[in-house]
Amino acid sequence: MLLDPGMDLTLRPMRYPDFYERYRAAIRNTWTVEEVDLHSDLADLARMTPQERHLINRLVAFFATGDSIVANNLVLNLYQHVNAPEARLYLSRQLFEEAVHVQFYLTLLDTYLPDPDERVKAFAAIEHIPSIRDKAEFCFRWIDSINGLRQLETAAERRQFLLNLICFAACIEGLFFYGAFAYVYWFRSRGLLGGLATGTNWVFRDESMHMEFAFSVVDTVRAEEPELFDDALAEQVTAMLEEAVAAELAFARDLCGDGMPGMTAEQMREYLEYVADQRLARLGLPTRYGTANPFAFMELQDVQELANFFERRVSAYQVAVEGNVSFDETF
Amino acid sequence: MTTIVEGDRRLAIEEAAARVITDPANSRVAARLLAEEIAAEAASCGVRSFSESVAATHAAGLVQDELAAFVAAHAAELDALVPADADDRFEYFGLRTVYDRYLLRHPETRAVLERPQHFLLRVACGLSATVAEAAELYALMSTLSYLPSSPTLFNSGARRPQLSSCFLLDSPRDELEAIYDRYGQVARLSKYAGGIGIAWTRVRSRGSLIRGTNGHSNGIVPWLRTLDSSVAAVNQGGRRKGAACVYLETWHADIEEFLELRDNTGEDARRTHNLNLANWVPDEFMRRVEADEMWSLFDPKDVPDLTDLYGEAFERAYRAYEEQGRQVRRVPARTLYGRMMRTLAQTGNGWMTFKDAANRTSNQTARPENVIHLSNLCTEILEVTSDAETAVCNLGSVNLAAHLRDGAELDWERLRATVRTAVRFLDRTIDLGFYPTPEAEAANRRWRPIGLGVMGLADVFFTLRLPFDSPQALELSTRIAEEIALAAYDTSADLAAERGRHPSYADTRAAGGVLHPDHYAGAAASPRWDALREKIATTGLRNSLMIAIAPTATIASIAGCYECIEPQVSNVFKRETLSGEFLQVNRYLVADLQARGLWTQEMRDAIKRADGSIQDVPGVPDDLRSLYRTAWELPQKALIDLAAARQPYIDQSQSLNLFMASPTIGKLSSMYAYAWKKGLKTTYYLRSRPATRIAQTTVAGSAAFTAAPAAGTGAVPAPALPAAEEAAAAIACSLENPEVCEACQ
Repeated sequence: MLLDPGMDLTLRPMRYPDFYERYRAAIRNTWTVEEVDLHSDLADLARMTPQERHLINRLVAFFATGDSIVANNLVLNLYQHVNAPEARLYLSRQLFEEAVHVQFYLTLLDTYLPDPDERVKAFAAIEHIPSIRDKAEFCFRWIDSINGLRQLETAAERRQFLLNLICFAACIEGLFFYGAFAYVYWFRSRGLLGGLATGTNWVFRDESMHMEFAFSVVDTVRAEEPELFDDALAEQVTAMLEEAVAAELAFARDLCGDGMPGMTAEQMREYLEYVADQRLARLGLPTRYGTANPFAFMELQDVQELANFFERRVSAYQVAVEGNVSFDETF
Repeated sequence: MTTIVEGDRRLAIEEAAARVITDPANSRVAARLLAEEIAAEAASCGVRSFSESVAATHAAGLVQDELAAFVAAHAAELDALVPADADDRFEYFGLRTVYDRYLLRHPETRAVLERPQHFLLRVACGLSATVAEAAELYALMSTLSYLPSSPTLFNSGARRPQLSSCFLLDSPRDELEAIYDRYGQVARLSKYAGGIGIAWTRVRSRGSLIRGTNGHSNGIVPWLRTLDSSVAAVNQGGRRKGAACVYLETWHADIEEFLELRDNTGEDARRTHNLNLANWVPDEFMRRVEADEMWSLFDPKDVPDLTDLYGEAFERAYRAYEEQGRQVRRVPARTLYGRMMRTLAQTGNGWMTFKDAANRTSNQTARPENVIHLSNLCTEILEVTSDAETAVCNLGSVNLAAHLRDGAELDWERLRATVRTAVRFLDRTIDLGFYPTPEAEAANRRWRPIGLGVMGLADVFFTLRLPFDSPQALELSTRIAEEIALAAYDTSADLAAERGRHPSYADTRAAGGVLHPDHYAGAAASPRWDALREKIATTGLRNSLMIAIAPTATIASIAGCYECIEPQVSNVFKRETLSGEFLQVNRYLVADLQARGLWTQEMRDAIKRADGSIQDVPGVPDDLRSLYRTAWELPQKALIDLAAARQPYIDQSQSLNLFMASPTIGKLSSMYAYAWKKGLKTTYYLRSRPATRIAQTTVAGSAAFTAAPAAGTGAVPAPALPAAEEAAAAIACSLENPEVCEACQ
């Protein structure tokens, strides 16, 4: 079984071809930080209101450390316990993507904050800006929660592991990051910060896949060991999401202050509740809030882009292509 | 009407725009609100009428004195040309584009100094000598029946009226000074909103001896890196980024490194992220690919005349050089072709353009010294170049959607009338334009080429209910091309009679009695061509080339129609532009579904989940399924066949994108070989789709949602989801149609 302790090395026969396919799909969508043009954003930043500037600075401070935290949990916890080589292939790929994200946000920070002292402060935000510190502490608590687990022997230990996995997929990548992306897309819906939006699109695409991978690990474990998914676990997951929504809402209040047209903490609360419901639903749990999505601009996120080649790079191309020259295939 | 607070109106606009998918009528609602906003902004600068707007932009130093004087002299007549409700013809995205990018603004306050109709009328006046002329062109533009290309829209009437869209520069000569001189020319041309095509075939390849220093050349890549930086640095006044496409002939020994320039992996010092790349492919190469033979790569320093030859002369010289052993090395032709296909699939770049088809049929290549060496940034312009002549083209496009009568047929008479007006004004841009380099001015005055194109073909097909791959669509599309060519040539003949032939007329094939369709068997069968040929024998032509189908990305947005000859990419998609993202929905589909009571939230969500496809959406009637296929679902053979059938009437070329969701080398090599065999002169982007996608946030019910158990009771949902790229297909997994759901088996 997937969570049985050990170091399985067998790829043939392959037990979980779906994980392997995810690994391959991820490779086809390789992107590099050098492809993103962030300099076009500087003019936008220069004409923002102090309130918008505050929002951006806080956001950048969150981004500075967010992906590093996810990468750490991947190395310290996930890789160790998901015992299938094809799943570990995916996790290795995910680790690379987290590294690209860290590099992207570092480049973003260096570009947006020309003053070296400001940059130091952004990285220190995790210690002295309460709304960011609280989110980080939430993450660290869940990293630490299975720190002592060397092997998942008992049902209780496996549930502990599942909680960590679900936390990073549903609460951190699936809620904290989703919240952060919403601010970026709000700016973009007004024609601002196109460079950040382009990079965020690609980060978002990766994060979507990370989340879906984690959920399919959950699905697999549930198929193999349905008894792990008891009512207590369901309650714990729901409580964890509630806590995450509260932490992200506090962050939103810090970012939005009294609110701006089209972006208020209250709307963000609705959005977070809406997203949290989706996570619960994906996990097969009853939804908790029943709130509707307040952000019309997020609809834009769900439809395919028609890149206008004079204006943006085309991010849609695939990296790996197969086959040989021939002349009689249908097209 | 009560005044809406500014912030509230902006919010109302954004919200209406975001609800376009629910009901496309919201697009007009948002557009109307935006028009009010623009009018208020202009009014705050004292601009209410057209004449006031020209006075204001003139005072701000933005428009010519002549234009200001002309408008002041005819203020009342010109002001009366603007109908009160003309802005109602805009969809939101079109008006937004006009507002964000085209309206003239005060240099300091950045407030708009003209309204959308003022802008169109100003463009018309900038190209007119009388009020009647201005009225004629403005009437076409304000009904969105015809629009000139963006540089003309940006600059008509401006102090530096650079009106041309495309510039094609010959390869620099193989020497340092010539290369640096070209960088300067590219920068000057880019600055004024022109797209650049530039060949690089004459520059020596890697390892070639440099006599002056007794060292060896690093080949073309370092030069192209410099070009890349230079192009990126020139930002076209903030209105759009500079852009260039580099053309290389397939025998150049650096071809493989050239094909890697856009990769996002590998050494960044050998990458050019801003340049577009195109292959200038001789027939001999394609024949050797077919026959699975070897292909020789040369250093142009050793074979300097190859790039100036085409057809049999090229083949003779190429084979002679091979016999003399001058090649740098040889590769299997199929191996190189496979790499070209790989580059297309991985980057969308490395466009396939065909040197011999381009030269063989061109009106400009009657004399052997006149050779086409490249196409342009969008692969629709084919004009001769030399070291002293930079080819130029002025473009405009007819909106076919605006020429439908009662939604049932094309109004051919009106289409011909539009073409006549369009050709006259395109011809005029040649004389009124400001040319950033003497090489461009020299060429344009000699050849006087123009590029009249079309947009909204997909709108016509939707309205007339013709699937892209139907025989009726092919017939109609070809007839449209022929009618446009006939009217354009006839007008150019009239212009020649009125104002004289273009100076190089004697050097054209037309002077020898051969018109473009004559190169294609059966294409000039109609007696109308005979009559035209006779007329031209007396009058000559004012323009050496007249037809080119440009991509029309921006002007089609303004006109609210589908781009040029393209099929729709999706029934629901967003546009990313400098002014943000906008949701677009296929309003023809929506109208059909509304009429049948099927445009429900469930339907919208299902189409969004399916990425804008309706093929697997339950409840869609079959006739709609076939009509509203997307570019990804149409056989690409049909697009190539349509393009090939209209090619006789396109004396330059067409920006033909091809679409393949998951390309393989086998499919691509078959497709491009077919395009070559059908006689296409050029192709444009290969569009493919991402291998993974962003999780949707606003569509109720992601893959496992509805199938999941109601509570955490330990029941088992789908253990293995399909691969990421197939996730969209997994929506079939729902309680409504469990029989289709394979994910849960």
